[in-house]
Amino acid sequence: MKELTLTYTQAKQELEEIVSAIESGELDVDALTEKVKRASELIAFCKEKLTKTDKELQKILDEIS
Amino acid sequence: MPELSLSLSELNWQVRDAIRDHLPDTYWVRAETSDVRRNQNGHCYLEFIEKDTRNQNIVARARGMIWSNVYEMLSSYFETETGQQFSSGLSVLVRVSIEFHELYGYSLSVVDIDPSFTIGEIARNRQLILKQLEEEGVLTLNKELSLPELTNRIAVISSPTAAGYEDFCDQLAKNPYGFVFYTKLFPAIMQGDRSEASIISALEKIYEYKENFDAVGIIRGGGSSSDLSCFDSYLLATNCAQFPLPIISGIGHERDITVVDAVAHTRAKTPTAVAEFLISHVSETAADLINLQKRLVEESNFIIQNAQYKLTDLSRRMIHSSNIFVRDELSGIQQLSVVFKHQTKRLLQIENHFVSEKGQYIHMVSPENVLKRGYSLTLKEGKIIKSVKELLENEIIETVFADGKVKSITTKN
Repeated sequence: MKELTLTYTQAKQELEEIVSAIESGELDVDALTEKVKRASELIAFCKEKLTKTDKELQKILDEIS
Repeated sequence: MPELSLSLSELNWQVRDAIRDHLPDTYWVRAETSDVRRNQNGHCYLEFIEKDTRNQNIVARARGMIWSNVYEMLSSYFETETGQQFSSGLSVLVRVSIEFHELYGYSLSVVDIDPSFTIGEIARNRQLILKQLEEEGVLTLNKELSLPELTNRIAVISSPTAAGYEDFCDQLAKNPYGFVFYTKLFPAIMQGDRSEASIISALEKIYEYKENFDAVGIIRGGGSSSDLSCFDSYLLATNCAQFPLPIISGIGHERDITVVDAVAHTRAKTPTAVAEFLISHVSETAADLINLQKRLVEESNFIIQNAQYKLTDLSRRMIHSSNIFVRDELSGIQQLSVVFKHQTKRLLQIENHFVSEKGQYIHMVSPENVLKRGYSLTLKEGKIIKSVKELLENEIIETVFADGKVKSITTKN
């Protein structure tokens, strides 16, 4: 998930937009596949942010003195 | 040397007697405490001061003291009533007797205290500060910040040794959902005269690193006997109100809402309550995410099912309509072929008829037939003669009949 340099809020917002777009019923199956793929990435990213310790961030905080 | 002079002690005795004679009672005095300290015998020494309300300059000052036995009684009464430790920076109403000692000079000895005055003063002071912050337009600035959806990087202002800080970190680390939290301690002195400057400097430090944090927790271990006055400081409050990160206060005080509590984004009662608040905020965030995921899956399945249904329908319709088309085409072709056969036959008949008619006609008008009917041709030197004027006397002509030729010589009529 390293390629996503988003904040949680940005990822969540994009996810919401995708879900709304899907719910609007204006997507065809081809577009849906793309969107669902992206949405899955975003969900995985968000879950990781919630539950996995980011060692880099921990290091930055530890270095503040 | 003048005749009448006094030693300093003689003068001081006179002053002492004059005070005792003229101010013999005890008096209720309004003043602010300053430099409150106790010695090893348990006696309390302090300064009483009065400040000019407009410019805060000190306009009066007196030394004060409270005997150990009086202090024990008054301080616990004061703390129970106000929720405040008897300390510096408080507005108090005390009953004092006026002492003058030839060696130590003028001082006020406290014999009683009225905590309700202090409560009123604290409240009034809070109201004044809140009003000032409101007039300056900063009162609700921190409240107006929105807590990021994922708030898990917390800058903590606390005394490093406080039990409350440990509780806070424990509570976060052991949250039942396995959410990750990052805490960074910015140590500060949390009570006493130096706390205001110390907390402000911790805030300034956090400000330098503000991109690394989602929120600030200002926490302090509980206990009712604590000095809250620094949390009612204008300077600290205005710093908190204008701080760019949301501040969650957990000052460990049940009863009072200090000015810092009032301007903080969120006020929790204790450090543990701050941790609980943060955990529940992340829980909501996680629930939102799960909900989004659910919507995504349900809606995608619906779209796919719908597409499959449409596809099935389309293929059924396609087979059906192809069959109809083929059948229609076949019958069309058959009809056409019948028509075609019939027409062709008719056309051929017409043509045949035409050809035979023409043939007859041609046969009828052919020279052989004409000769047979009695006509003849006249030739001269092999050329057909069509006029009598082409002939002279004594010329040889050839006459052609259907069954042969004769030659003759022309004569004059």
